[in-house]
Amino acid sequence: MTPPSAGYGRIKHESGMEQILANGIYLGAQYAMIALGLTLIFALMNVLNFAHGQMYVLGGFVTYTFYGQLGWPFAFALLMSCITLAVLGALIEKYLFAPVIKRSSREESTMLLAAGLAFLFDSLILLLFGEKQRGVPKLVDGVFNWDFRVIMPYDRILICVLAIISIVTFILFMQYSKTGRALRALAQDRSAAQLMGVNVDRYSMVGFALGAMLAGLVGGLLVTITGVNLGMGGPTSIQAFIMVMIGGAGVISGAIAGGIILGFLEAIGLAVLSQYGDITYLLIFVSLMIFLAVRPQGLMGKPWG
Amino acid sequence: MSALLQVQNVTKRFGGLTANHDISFDVQDNEILSVIGPNGAGKSTLFKMISSFLPTTSGQVLFKGGRISNRKPHIAARKGVVRTFQETTIFKSMTVRESVIVAQHLRAKASLAGYFWGTRAARADVERFGRYADELIEFLGMNAIAGEQASNLPQGNLRALGVAIGLATDPKVLLLDEPFAGMNHDETMRMVDLVRKVRDDRSVTVLLVEHDMPAVMNISDRIVVLNFGEKIAEGTPSEIQNNEKVIEAYLGSVDDEIGM
Amino acid sequence: MMKLSASRWGGLVLFLFALFIVVPALIAASGRIDFYFTLTSVAILSIASAGVWLTFYIGRINIGQGAFALIGAYVSAILVTKAGMSFWLSLPLAGLFAAFVAVLIGLPILRLRGVYFAMITLVLTQVVTLTALALPITNGAKGITSIPLPGELSIFGLTLIPDFASLENTRLAFYYTACLLMVLTFAAMYRLVNSRLGHLCRSMQQNEELASSIGVNIAYIRIIIFAISSFLGGVGGAMFGSIAQSVYPSSFQVADSVNFMLNCFLGGLGYVFGPMLGTLVLYFGWDLLFELGRFQLLVYSSLLILMMLLLPNGLLSLRLPGKQGAGK
Repeated sequence: MTPPSAGYGRIKHESGMEQILANGIYLGAQYAMIALGLTLIFALMNVLNFAHGQMYVLGGFVTYTFYGQLGWPFAFALLMSCITLAVLGALIEKYLFAPVIKRSSREESTMLLAAGLAFLFDSLILLLFGEKQRGVPKLVDGVFNWDFRVIMPYDRILICVLAIISIVTFILFMQYSKTGRALRALAQDRSAAQLMGVNVDRYSMVGFALGAMLAGLVGGLLVTITGVNLGMGGPTSIQAFIMVMIGGAGVISGAIAGGIILGFLEAIGLAVLSQYGDITYLLIFVSLMIFLAVRPQGLMGKPWG
Repeated sequence: MSALLQVQNVTKRFGGLTANHDISFDVQDNEILSVIGPNGAGKSTLFKMISSFLPTTSGQVLFKGGRISNRKPHIAARKGVVRTFQETTIFKSMTVRESVIVAQHLRAKASLAGYFWGTRAARADVERFGRYADELIEFLGMNAIAGEQASNLPQGNLRALGVAIGLATDPKVLLLDEPFAGMNHDETMRMVDLVRKVRDDRSVTVLLVEHDMPAVMNISDRIVVLNFGEKIAEGTPSEIQNNEKVIEAYLGSVDDEIGM
Repeated sequence: MMKLSASRWGGLVLFLFALFIVVPALIAASGRIDFYFTLTSVAILSIASAGVWLTFYIGRINIGQGAFALIGAYVSAILVTKAGMSFWLSLPLAGLFAAFVAVLIGLPILRLRGVYFAMITLVLTQVVTLTALALPITNGAKGITSIPLPGELSIFGLTLIPDFASLENTRLAFYYTACLLMVLTFAAMYRLVNSRLGHLCRSMQQNEELASSIGVNIAYIRIIIFAISSFLGGVGGAMFGSIAQSVYPSSFQVADSVNFMLNCFLGGLGYVFGPMLGTLVLYFGWDLLFELGRFQLLVYSSLLILMMLLLPNGLLSLRLPGKQGAGK
């Protein structure tokens, strides 16, 4: 399984600490965004959104359609991705998840519904966009080259900056806006939030939409660098799960931590272990299993017992 | 003669909070001993440690001289020290009779594989379990509800079911967790009789944790009083009723649950 | 040994008759020989799904059965191709090895619940796939191919099972083998669920604390059930490898693990035969929808979601409202 964000291995040179650091930040920022969306959904509804990777892919395809095919300005294409995923997320929560949660007493139900949705998304993407890999022209040309110690194409730097801005905006939103506070209350204690007058149903929908939107936004950002194709959905979902599990499910700081850690693990692994093939991810997975067996709540999660 | 159950210097700390500090007392064979105290005194924490559902921070609990604390929860049950729970802890979709049959797990003679293949020992067991279940249900006066699903039972019956499940294991010591909670006077008196019957007819030693003072005074041979995690008194009901420290502990506490 | 009522015996005989006689007759009549592969796959996958059902029975969400299927497939393939062992001997060995791995992994993780357990099993599937890619003995990405057909099985000169290579209709032979294994599996499951072990599992599923308090060693029971579940996964995988006559790291993936779960869920988690029905509906349904071409996945997933909405307790909750082989 090759990580979907790979592709910068084209530049073959001895990776020093600075390069690894730069790669780590770059990967970490995007991963953190994906993890944030997933963890928000989990915090609100105790559902691991199996379709998260597919939402990411859909976001990429929407941006591709508007920016790559129709020639709209990139910012507008990104906006379209956000809107599409937000609307879809809201609809899915309201008409699919909410009824299933009400009707089924088993906790597996929502997980399997999410799995079914993953298939549905895949089928829609297949129909609307086909199977081929799609890409868009680069946003910015040129490569940043600091003395050959850090080599990073400008468009990646741009995307990384945009990702970081999005993350910060999201955190500020959750911290200070009315909606954000309601969502946090809901995530912490559903019944208490209800007693405080929070419209649980409406905010569940908003939260899910927000989580989906984040996934779509990352997809839109990354389509400019790695392109997008149908097959990326599954592996991306799994990566998102790993990040959330590392950092602690349902905790925002955990998601960011998880994203950054995975980003760095990948950066380090690919630099150091690339000669051994796919060992990087194998090692990551095995370490993860051991880590989770010892500390299932992740780094910052609430103790699960 | 050494006591049946010995609580020795049991202490429990949760982070900075000390729930129980250096608690020691003995439970004699075939007696009914109650642990009481104001809310937050550490009774249920102590209870969980005795039945090995919580580890002690220090100290131990001995049963017939062997340690039963700080082990996996089922081990205490295996040795004959069985606890009951508050009423929401049941096997929801099993009937009363099924629950009492399942609870006889410890009395099984055949191995698990034996049940799969249907060996003679297994079939004999199944018959025994059924008979014993009926016997117990009769003993506890639950004949009318034997076929009812546990989730459909009213609260009072659930408590009896909990006792039935505990008894089905054929314990030496039964730990009752607030057996009279939420009951009116009649129900309480019935439960008191039941508990006494259990001790008298089945030679089961009973250790209970409770708030209901009249019931406790009525049923106990001896009482241990906790306050703020410490043992402040131990003795017969009349001794306890006249104990200054106990009176002060109860009068001084805001949550007064004495005197129904 | 088994106490079944007359009507149930009747139903069983009817089912076996349909399975072993009627279906082959229908296939021969209609000429749809490709259905053999489909139905054989259904039988095999239902065995693996039965394993997942068992882990649900002790209250755990198992998204790792694909890992055990892959392990089983590789073990059998390696034993047959590299050690020249008879397939029939490699089959239980594959299962046992998968069970062994399950015990090793289960010891630390079975105490976890819900999402946490699920996620580790999910990662497990990935780990096994990547390990298969990396190990020399598994031939990496090339996989193990040209696995010979199952050989003869004879005891004391008596041929129990003829050499598959000598048979005219190997498809039918595989079908019979798979169905036999499936029947054995579900018979064993039915028996298990209605025996004391089943009662103990139900007690654990409904209230772990209470089960502990009556002396049930829940850690021990969990490991046993998980081992049995993975054994079934291993056997299913080995069987599958034999039919495909090849095993690749991609033979069983996360999607397969998820599908096993879906099979159980759709059939109904409260019913022993749920996985059988669920696998049939989902797998056969998927095949039937092939005519729709590009729309196959769309219709399939839509129907799946629809069924989840309308039938949260699975298909069997429709036909057998009171008759439950297992609690809930």
